[in-house]
Amino acid sequence: MAHAQEATTFNENESKVNWHDKALWFVRQKRDKAAFNVKGWETLRDLASAIKANVMSNLDIYLEEFEANAIKNGVTVHWAKDAEEHNKIVHGILQKTNVKKIVKSKSMLTEECHLNPYLEANGIEVIDTDLGERIVQLAEEPPSHIVLPAIHKTKEEVDELFQEHLGTKPCNGDPQYLTDEARKHLRNKFLKADAAVTGVNFAIAETGGIVVCTNEGNADMGAHLAKVHIACMGMEKLIPQEKHLGVFLRLLARSATGQPITTYSSHFNKPAPGTEMHIVIVDNGRTEQLSREDFRASLHCIRCGACMNTCPIYRRSGGHSYNATIPGPIGSILSPGKDLTKHSDLPFASTLCGSCSDVCPVKINIHEQLYKWRQIITKDVPQPIVKKSVLKVTGNVLANSKMYDFVGKSSRFMLKHTPRFLVYSKLNTWGKERELPEVKNGNFDEWYKKRKKNE
Amino acid sequence: MSRESILNAVRKNKPEALPLPEIDLNVFAEDKDLVKTFIENVQFVGGRAIVLESTDTIDAKIKEFYPHASKIVSCTTESSLGNISISAATEPHGLESIDLAIVKGDLAVSENGAVWIEENDFTIRVLPFITNDLVLIVNKEDIHLHLHDAYETISKRDRTFGLFLSGPSKTADIEQCLVIGAQGAISLTVLIL
Ligand code: SF4
Repeated sequence: MAHAQEATTFNENESKVNWHDKALWFVRQKRDKAAFNVKGWETLRDLASAIKANVMSNLDIYLEEFEANAIKNGVTVHWAKDAEEHNKIVHGILQKTNVKKIVKSKSMLTEECHLNPYLEANGIEVIDTDLGERIVQLAEEPPSHIVLPAIHKTKEEVDELFQEHLGTKPCNGDPQYLTDEARKHLRNKFLKADAAVTGVNFAIAETGGIVVCTNEGNADMGAHLAKVHIACMGMEKLIPQEKHLGVFLRLLARSATGQPITTYSSHFNKPAPGTEMHIVIVDNGRTEQLSREDFRASLHCIRCGACMNTCPIYRRSGGHSYNATIPGPIGSILSPGKDLTKHSDLPFASTLCGSCSDVCPVKINIHEQLYKWRQIITKDVPQPIVKKSVLKVTGNVLANSKMYDFVGKSSRFMLKHTPRFLVYSKLNTWGKERELPEVKNGNFDEWYKKRKKNE
Repeated sequence: MSRESILNAVRKNKPEALPLPEIDLNVFAEDKDLVKTFIENVQFVGGRAIVLESTDTIDAKIKEFYPHASKIVSCTTESSLGNISISAATEPHGLESIDLAIVKGDLAVSENGAVWIEENDFTIRVLPFITNDLVLIVNKEDIHLHLHDAYETISKRDRTFGLFLSGPSKTADIEQCLVIGAQGAISLTVLIL
């Protein structure tokens, strides 16, 4: 189903939409506070962006360097061209080591590859251990946000889920009680697991080490208790040297949740004695994205989720409406790169307000890339007739300043003088779900000219 | 082999070489009270940090904070409260019932309240995560301004496993309500010497 339709479904519960909107905006505000506290924040963003650009332009060299160093450290390195190969490799390692139960810590990559259903079909128990991930796993839903996977669920809903699956007592959604119960449940799973699968936040070419960041400590509980640790990484996670972590770790948690750093930033360099460590490097469309000059920078993403928390569309349409592993602004760039026909509506799920680009810690020009996708899509993909003609008119209007002026004036005139039933009719999609602004006399242009005269 | 085909595709698709930027640390220099900022940040992330006047008071302080801890692992010479000894041969699963672990941190970071600890500081990797409560001890002079400084020190070492640990385990996954004590240690106290 298309984004707009899914969003409409999400919008049926108005109070929940308002709650969702507020919850995410709260996180965005925390991000602002954290960012303003750092001297040289903008320099950090510039550095992060330039480091990532350097990585992309030398990716083959860094990948080989990383691989050689990881092998020297006693780690086994695997390469997967797509999701299927990734799943096969992981399953192969589990078979070889005779593993029946695994614990997983949050990894959008394994989500992207649909690892869980693959392993489950092969008789392996897979437990997601990040609390939010466990909640959506019990609900048999995908995560709706990359940092806050269960942000779309109320505490009452979690209460019910836990009663059903974990046998907890009704508690009116008391988060402390629910978290404590989840802790007990998951400890038991950690202690019994034979292997742990984690994601990778950063892979360092210079050392062959990887860094995994969590607040709960679940990646560590899994990896240090099990005999086998499998770390799955998208190939774009590389950074050249360890000192660059200083830049990225300062940006990541502040941008994600407003914390100065995640509770645990674990640096895995060598496997513990008597254990195995594997790293699976995954392409799955990334080399193709690398070839697209206009969209290459989307590979710089460090998955902080800030663009989602700030996006007025995401906040009011919910992550599931994007129908993709990575939702929100950055997902709307990545998804069409994978399947243009299936995701052709996503670049339109944006106001192009630019807020995403403003908060992005690695300075990806997100809104510009969305606009570029729109240009490609309106040319190449058949559009519903209404959207196409509206876009054409909009394009003409924006391109012509006289026309823009005229349309502005006349729509202000019309908004002021058209009967309400017409403004809020089915024909005017912009009147749907929102009150249109009260019309003041004059526009910016007129105001600006007046101001100039008075100077 | 996928390895070759991936690397070849990268070679074909990558853009022209771009330089690696220099990091000018002067931009981030600040004249701050490192200890004070560190303590504030530890509190901000849900932990507790205090300055101790002398090493002799360590045990008394820990007892005051954790009066009910009975199974204690101490990996430091600064405290004598440890009553369970561990070695490289200890089975990690056996640490499940530990009440308290005491570990000496190598360095700390003022900007985020994090303490850097390494495998050789705590012997068994899972210890600081699986313990119910955690006490870290750091020296005042090992508190760095920010992560850049910290990496200057730790990058030079040959390491197996290490981490920046900032506060107790926590989650906000249920309706964005912050709950302390998810999978890892439920509380964190940092004693500054
Ligand atoms: S695109 Fe930028 S803001 Fe969005 S998740 Fe990635 S790094 Fe964060």
